[in-house]
Amino acid sequence: MTDSPVRPTSEVPVALELNGEHVRATIPAHRTLLDMLRDDLGLCGTKRCCAEGECGACSVLLDGELVNSCLVLGAEADGGALLTIEGVSMDGVTDLQEEFLAAGAVQCGVCIPGQVMAAEQLLQTNPNASRNEIRDAMSGNLCRCASYQRIVEAIQNAAAGRRTDA
Amino acid sequence: MASYCRPRTVSEVLTALAGAEGHGRILVGGTDLLVHLRKDPFAPTVIVDIKSVSDFPPAVEIGDDVVRFGPTARMAEISSDPFIADHLPALCASARVVGSIAIRNRATLIGNICNGSPAADTAPALLVYGSSVTVTGPGGERTMPLVDFFVGPGQTRCGPDEIVIRVDVPIPDRGHRSAFQRLTRRRGVDLATVSVAAGVDADGGIVLGLGCVGPTPLLTDASPPVDLNDPDAIEGAVEELVSIATPISDVRAARDYREAMVRVLAVRAVQAAAAPLEGMSS
Amino acid sequence: MPDENQGPSSNGQIAGPNRVVGQRVHRYGGVDRVTGAQRYLSDITFTDAAHVAFATVPVGCAAIDAIDTSPAVAMPGVIAVVHADDLPQPVARFGISHKDRPVIATKAVNYHGEPVVAVVAETEDEARAAANAVVIHYTELTGVYGLDAALAGDARLVQDPSVRPGDDLNSTNVLEQVEYAWGDADSEGASSHTIIEDTYMFPMVTHFPIEPGGIVAVPTDDGGIEVYSPVQHPYLLQRTIAEVWSIPLSRVRVIAPDPGGGFGGKQTPRYEPLIAFLALKTGRTCRLVLSLEEAFQMMRRSGCRIHARTGFTEAGELTFHEMQVDFVVGAYADVAPRVMTKGSYVGAGPYRIPRVSINARAVLTNTVPSCAFRGFGAPQVGWATESQLDAGARALGLDSLEMRRRNLVQHDEAFIRGDYEARADGRWHESLEKAAELIGWHEPTPSGRGRGISVGIKPGATTGLSQSMVRLLYDGSAMAYAGTSDMGQGARTLWKQILADELGVDLDLITIISGDTNAVPFDLQTSASRSTVFMGNAVLAACEDIRDRVLELYAEATETAQSELSHAPGQLVTPSGAISLVEAAQTALGGLRGEFVGQGTSRLWGTKGHPLGGDASFYEFNATAIEVEVDRVTGEILLTKHVTVGDVGTEINPLQVVSQDEGAAIMGLGHSLMEQMLFDEHGQILNLGAIDYRIPTFNDVALEMQTASVENHDGPGPYGCKGISEGALLCTAGAVGAAVADAIGTPVRDLPITAERVWRTIRDANCDSPD
Repeated sequence: MTDSPVRPTSEVPVALELNGEHVRATIPAHRTLLDMLRDDLGLCGTKRCCAEGECGACSVLLDGELVNSCLVLGAEADGGALLTIEGVSMDGVTDLQEEFLAAGAVQCGVCIPGQVMAAEQLLQTNPNASRNEIRDAMSGNLCRCASYQRIVEAIQNAAAGRRTDA
Repeated sequence: MASYCRPRTVSEVLTALAGAEGHGRILVGGTDLLVHLRKDPFAPTVIVDIKSVSDFPPAVEIGDDVVRFGPTARMAEISSDPFIADHLPALCASARVVGSIAIRNRATLIGNICNGSPAADTAPALLVYGSSVTVTGPGGERTMPLVDFFVGPGQTRCGPDEIVIRVDVPIPDRGHRSAFQRLTRRRGVDLATVSVAAGVDADGGIVLGLGCVGPTPLLTDASPPVDLNDPDAIEGAVEELVSIATPISDVRAARDYREAMVRVLAVRAVQAAAAPLEGMSS
Repeated sequence: MPDENQGPSSNGQIAGPNRVVGQRVHRYGGVDRVTGAQRYLSDITFTDAAHVAFATVPVGCAAIDAIDTSPAVAMPGVIAVVHADDLPQPVARFGISHKDRPVIATKAVNYHGEPVVAVVAETEDEARAAANAVVIHYTELTGVYGLDAALAGDARLVQDPSVRPGDDLNSTNVLEQVEYAWGDADSEGASSHTIIEDTYMFPMVTHFPIEPGGIVAVPTDDGGIEVYSPVQHPYLLQRTIAEVWSIPLSRVRVIAPDPGGGFGGKQTPRYEPLIAFLALKTGRTCRLVLSLEEAFQMMRRSGCRIHARTGFTEAGELTFHEMQVDFVVGAYADVAPRVMTKGSYVGAGPYRIPRVSINARAVLTNTVPSCAFRGFGAPQVGWATESQLDAGARALGLDSLEMRRRNLVQHDEAFIRGDYEARADGRWHESLEKAAELIGWHEPTPSGRGRGISVGIKPGATTGLSQSMVRLLYDGSAMAYAGTSDMGQGARTLWKQILADELGVDLDLITIISGDTNAVPFDLQTSASRSTVFMGNAVLAACEDIRDRVLELYAEATETAQSELSHAPGQLVTPSGAISLVEAAQTALGGLRGEFVGQGTSRLWGTKGHPLGGDASFYEFNATAIEVEVDRVTGEILLTKHVTVGDVGTEINPLQVVSQDEGAAIMGLGHSLMEQMLFDEHGQILNLGAIDYRIPTFNDVALEMQTASVENHDGPGPYGCKGISEGALLCTAGAVGAAVADAIGTPVRDLPITAERVWRTIRDANCDSPD
């Protein structure tokens, strides 16, 4: 926390829960959560492309909600719980990630961590999503290799798998 | 260089803004502010993060006559609230098309209007419902109709040392119906080329909120009662109302296309509003 | 004939008892990509790296009057501030066909975004802040930003004639021009029943890779340099750095991390010579990570204007086709002249046309230099030719499928005539018919909708050299060294499949090494969908080389006559029966162990005098059919169906074929429906960045989409394959355009076919109509 709530500081200390672990860092006020993850904490699985919230490559879950980490200041993550692609993959490849591979969804791969985060959130909030709902929900995540059909298939297969397991 | 603070009360917010000497920028969702910061990262911006303020009105408070939105009301909550979907369908529909899910998880209603963009998605609906804005600052608190809040592109009546603490949206009578229409360049997430919200009262009087066709979001006068079963009558009324539009050409569309489309969308919005129980169609 | 032109293991024969070629093998490197572990350039950590930022001017054409670096030099963390005067004079220029691009802007700025000053500082923020503080005094000049301005008699020259010495065209903005013609001009009048003449536009579009890219240069102790860059052609970059800075090739090491999307945009060197200079000058590792906006200012597809005149008999047979094709190539040549010559070479399409005349020009303008982009000129020219066929069909009242049936060449029939004719190397009618069948061409079009069908063709590589090395290790694992850059097409997966079959090694035991000029043998480039054919054949040859060596040593070790042994994929056949190649290798190697090293080379010589430098090794052929619903009031288009069929020869990995075909097809929707770079009167890019440069999203894909292949095992690559990565984008625009025209009754001739353009077309048609 900043020492005084009304005195602005250019270097902001932050403490957060990152993939289940407590982390402390100090970040310049203008630097984003994406900058902090990649440059300060060395977690490069979250990718940078447009840096203005249009492409979804930097998607992470902050306090359980999908956000573009390029549109969140590092300072804002103070006190938050953050899940990145590294956290999702901590115990190996998930069922969803396996479906991405099986569906041929992975080409150049830069957008894929963000796609996985958005898809994971979708599966949690709408486990029975229709094809159109999946397309709509995923439209904030661009893929220039245009694996869109493959990703939709992967999400549908993962959803079906989870329903069977449940 | 930018600096950052996180006040805990409205009064601390005002202190922080006063100390920023015109460089203060309020941060809630950050979906606009961070885009600006990226373009000018080395300006002496004082970022005032108000998400820890404890004495704001609640994000969404549903009263008897009014729905009150506080500074932390996000698009995600607004677009998924069943009461808003039922009573303020044009607002619900417009909140649902603001950016992507990730954007809607952060972007706020008040942020959307404070940005002062003529393309603000929720502005036409808020205008149609006769919303009011309450600003607080060193000079105290004042409330004004939203239509008076917008001044020009990027300009509002919220001063650099002030903050909008709530937007009140009157709950329309049961006979009132409304709908929202938007045109974009692609089917996925996009900014509006033209947007229109239509409100139709029980007598068939029409009022329109228009986006992207003037220096600010525009609110038309109310038309005299119109026979909503008569397409020609609707078209005639719309033609009158949209004459206030003064669109420009930019990268998203040319002026003449916007002029034509604001009419098309307005008619469609009125028809959607008038169609029984279909104002909610997605 | 083409059947004799195949790779070493050929004839459509699939190798090995446990064949994995032809299977849906998961992508090599896929696990790292889904878990975020894959290290792209900007993810690699360099100790003690300094950071680079550029200063530019906000116009497309300017004279640089003076540069004041002092405010930047004084800023914290700044190590060096460099502009043209700080480089060895004269400032070196480089390029493939034309050495016209200076290492840094020299005296003039020729396009919006051209770096004028480079700042090296300790941190990225410090570099950017200092770059902001540099003051560049410049005088804006009247730039040429469009074709008409560039071709006007008094047009300002984008390049000073001294940059193009000895070039007849150097007093104009025409960089190169080419003419293709055959047939007798006198014969057309009598035979043509209908003549169609129109002009078509194809927009400038940008690659928009999700990894914008970057460069890191590390000076080495021996006076050399290591350059990290996600390039498609590491060896071209190595040669360029060596030539520009006079360093022997042996001391220039290029490390190419997997490109995060290439699409042609990451082929050629641009800023690498500059970053290498900064590293050599400062003695520091210098790192530049590009923003998406900077990537827009580094790569784009050439825009194009095509004027076409086409004749038809009453039965719809083509009688002649004339085209004037002008490519808007930008400020420097890059590979644009090649885009122009290669794209217009197939400008008349895969058709039987008695007379053709194509004049094409590469025109310089003060815009971002254009480069290769998936399709390489063929989509631009094809847009016009396919639209002409549809216009002919409409005029003659002929079905557009039938129009293509009547004109599309048969297998082995010439579609390019004259001195260097080209013949169909596939049974292309099969693809056309399959596309028609998949979209239900013969079922009635639902009301309010329109359908279009279109074909596209692109020549594959015309020369090539790929070298590969394969090692079979004692424990039965194997490694392949192959210089192909894996930018998403999945090349390494294919090498793995080939090794698995040819050596009989488990997929899991195979490692592929690429992207390092110090480790991997020469490969000319990763482009033109060549790799599966060229590098594939080299890998295949290296595997056969290993089998030969195993046989020889096995004979020696077991005192068996070589004549009693033979090998087959994965096996050594001995007098007592077949044994696995790995077992044979272990027996042969014996107690000393060791390994087998095989080498393979695939080379395609050019043909002297051929306008492309040689015959294409194969053609990518595609048929696309699209159905749309058009809102006639707003002009909005809804894609209801999209099918595409490629003539692939053999699918080595069906999963990757689908990914690439769908990807190309959807990318094609970009320039067809929404993508275009817009410039203002100062040459500034108006939609610079992701907010206003729109590319297709999930929701922009057709409601129903299907891709399919025709497999006749008739390609020159391993197992009869052809290259496939571009086909499905070649004729997307033609099919979309035809479908929209079918729906609204009037064609749209300028891409992208935005809602606004459709609205305008309908409005203008209504104004023109007599009622």
